[in-house]
Amino acid sequence: MQLDYKKLGFKSGLEIHQQLETHKLFCNCPSIVHDKNPDIKFERKLRTSAGESGKIDQAAKYESKKQKTFLYEACSTSSCLVEYDEEPPTQVNQEALEIALQAALLLNATPVDEARVMRKTVIDGSNVSGFQRTMLIATDGYLETSKGKVTIDSICLEEESARKIETKDNYVKFRLDRLGVPLIEVATEASIKDPEHCQEVASILGMILRSTNKVKRGIGTIRQDVNVSIKGHPRVEIKGFQDLKSIPKIIEFEVKREIKESKNKVESHVRKANSNLTTSYLRPMPGAARMYPETDVQSILLTKQFIKQIKIPELITEKAIKLEKKYKLSPTLAQELVNNELFIVLTKQFKKLQPTFIAKTILEMPKEISKRFNLPKENLKPYHFESVLEALNENKINESAVLQILADAANNKKIDFKKYKKVDSSQIELEIKKLVESNKNISPNGLMGLIMKNYRGKVDGKKAMELIKKYHK
Amino acid sequence: MLTLKSNLTVNNKVKLITKDSKVFEGIVLPDTNSKKVVLKLESGYNIGILISNIKESKLISKSKKPIEKKKTTAKINKKLPTISILHTGGTIASEVDYETGAVIAKFTPEELLSKFPELKTVCNINSSLIGNMFSEDMRFSHYNKLLTAIQKEIKKGTDGIIITHGTDTLAYTSAALAFALEGLNTPILLVGAQRSSDRGSSDAFLNLLGACQYLSNSNFSEVGICMHESSDDKSCLILSPTKTKKFHSSRRDAFQSVNTEPIARVFSDGKYENIAKLHSTESKLTIKPFKENIKVGILKAHPNMFAKEITNYSTFNGLIIEGTGLGHLPVNETDKETKENSKILKAIKSLSKSIPVFMTTQTTFGRVNMNVYSSGRKLKEIEISGDYNDMLTETAFIKMSWLLSNYPKSKVSELMNQNLRDEISKRSSKKEFL
Repeated sequence: MQLDYKKLGFKSGLEIHQQLETHKLFCNCPSIVHDKNPDIKFERKLRTSAGESGKIDQAAKYESKKQKTFLYEACSTSSCLVEYDEEPPTQVNQEALEIALQAALLLNATPVDEARVMRKTVIDGSNVSGFQRTMLIATDGYLETSKGKVTIDSICLEEESARKIETKDNYVKFRLDRLGVPLIEVATEASIKDPEHCQEVASILGMILRSTNKVKRGIGTIRQDVNVSIKGHPRVEIKGFQDLKSIPKIIEFEVKREIKESKNKVESHVRKANSNLTTSYLRPMPGAARMYPETDVQSILLTKQFIKQIKIPELITEKAIKLEKKYKLSPTLAQELVNNELFIVLTKQFKKLQPTFIAKTILEMPKEISKRFNLPKENLKPYHFESVLEALNENKINESAVLQILADAANNKKIDFKKYKKVDSSQIELEIKKLVESNKNISPNGLMGLIMKNYRGKVDGKKAMELIKKYHK
Repeated sequence: MLTLKSNLTVNNKVKLITKDSKVFEGIVLPDTNSKKVVLKLESGYNIGILISNIKESKLISKSKKPIEKKKTTAKINKKLPTISILHTGGTIASEVDYETGAVIAKFTPEELLSKFPELKTVCNINSSLIGNMFSEDMRFSHYNKLLTAIQKEIKKGTDGIIITHGTDTLAYTSAALAFALEGLNTPILLVGAQRSSDRGSSDAFLNLLGACQYLSNSNFSEVGICMHESSDDKSCLILSPTKTKKFHSSRRDAFQSVNTEPIARVFSDGKYENIAKLHSTESKLTIKPFKENIKVGILKAHPNMFAKEITNYSTFNGLIIEGTGLGHLPVNETDKETKENSKILKAIKSLSKSIPVFMTTQTTFGRVNMNVYSSGRKLKEIEISGDYNDMLTETAFIKMSWLLSNYPKSKVSELMNQNLRDEISKRSSKKEFL
């Protein structure tokens, strides 16, 4: 069934949360997201925010929550009294603020005159204090996409929550390493046109945030929440996308699910993206965010002079085009090499080598080593690449030996260039001539096998084949 | 500009257009001044906009008077004891107004019960507002006001009193009440909070609940302090009014016993265990208030002191010296560099002839002993009192002020050395340290 999203009144907005590579937002603890060996433990209860006098009876509300205890474990390496809600926060991490402003400027947004830190009430235990600190730093930006401009409503700087470790009937356990890591939250207007467009917007947003070169990388460091609605149906928020590629299908399935559900009256709610691309009910949509001022932190004046001195980084896409031209690289390689210091150093150092070969050595060979030889590519350090490329640059080894040598390094073996020492070409020719003459019945391919048995890595395969063909009649 | 000013009245809903054509819609908040307007946006975020950056303003709706919430009267359960809560200030009964972000005190029984509904099952609550101040701003006149309010509650026949108090000088007030309420037979607990009660994680609730439970269930009949025992929301300690100090600027277990054990431990489920032996008295309550013009100073000994630091106190009624180590001041002239020390000795000698001077130790834990070193012996010779005492400086300050308020000056030094309210312990136990 091909869906006509326009006709369905499809509306979608995206919210991106990206962790920053700097110390925590309101204390000087390092942002170690997965810290080990917790040495601090304590337990707390959280009450519904004081004075929340809604229609529900306070007593009843409390009774229903009374049994939940929150167990917290923390590592003194990555947390301090601020995370334990035992000390007021420090001033906002200036570096985080500047990264967020860089992102805001890249997104063509206007910083607010004065940012004010707010407390967003969260009582599921994931914030020890019972709230998340957040501040609006810029509004009204946009980004260009293949389907037109998409407006950016807001850019916020906020604290990451604690990591949930265990849930039981009477308690929930959290680890506090992640709590307080700075996050940029970018929210788009609900003007995304269709599921593919949503993936594109997410991908561009990710690229722009990475362009600051100060964001965390890897699984869980960036999260996408997608808001979806079609005419006559309440808004649904989908969380927990495993990767960008899954976004279009998940949205498509969600829209189909909603169409089927049309007779039932449902309220706005939050859904979780499943690995089979369907979604499942997670929880009701939080009401209008309960926000009140963080009175322990002074507001931050974003003066014109301050904004002026924020350096706007070059976009990854722009940098990639430059690299592509300068080093005659393929677009894919160039994209991957943006901000890769090692590549720049190595190309400067080894002028005789093709930049593409250097790029492949540092980007593709590690992947191949892990795939083909099942060896840990993490063992490969910059000096391994440097020494092997140096040997190649000085003509001591053949190109074909590079992979073998790196595989040895990944295997924690000592690099032995002698083993792969380039053999004098006249000696090889003599050797091949002899071999061909004494094995006249063997095909060139068979002969190649025999040669390579003795000279793997020491001779260039192509060259060897040429010689075989020369003497094989 | 005039319309802009009137549009920016607090609580008005306005639309502001900035010089770079950005549009903001929200409610004007009280932090607004002549330079900037603070808006609460629809999203809940607050932002500041410079007045100089505003091109145009439109009034969307005028400030609405807050709708009075229906008041419910707390029903009295005759089976439960009645506790009076006297609020003096501090974060424990404060609440944030979500519209404006301002912090306001909520202390009527109804408001307290709506915040802490579980208290209903423990006791009936009476409450009154004595003040709403930072505890560091308190003066002796506030102690006296509090004493009057306590007397009133006792006369009404309350089963126990809770005094909610800022934590900074809570332990001074507890000592003041312990001295001033002679022959007390009604339990009084001072309760504070280290994390403001507007957050879900505040320690205020457990401290208040623990106090209500201990007052309702135990035979305690003196003055005490009820605060968190640890970082966990598991138990509170009932602490001595004269031997407790705030040891940390922000942790919830900041209050610790000094040179004594806690009185009791109360668990979050209401169970409790007494640690110290409880006193009880048959005598009649006499209130001995503070004279508001009494001037007692606290002087901390330190290296490179000058005699002027001591002569500064010549117009005071009494002085507490927080000495180094066993109770020392720099009074030895040992070389040409230490001539000032002889002047210090002279100054303190002349001061102690006219006013009571009492020694405590800045180590906080341990006892003063002015017999071990020559500095101590010299000070003892010139009648600095306090030898062998293990009183906290804060308690010594309150005690001397109270003695000067209620006894002849000639008796003060002698009474300072006598144990009146468990402020001096006879024995030093190994357990009583960090």
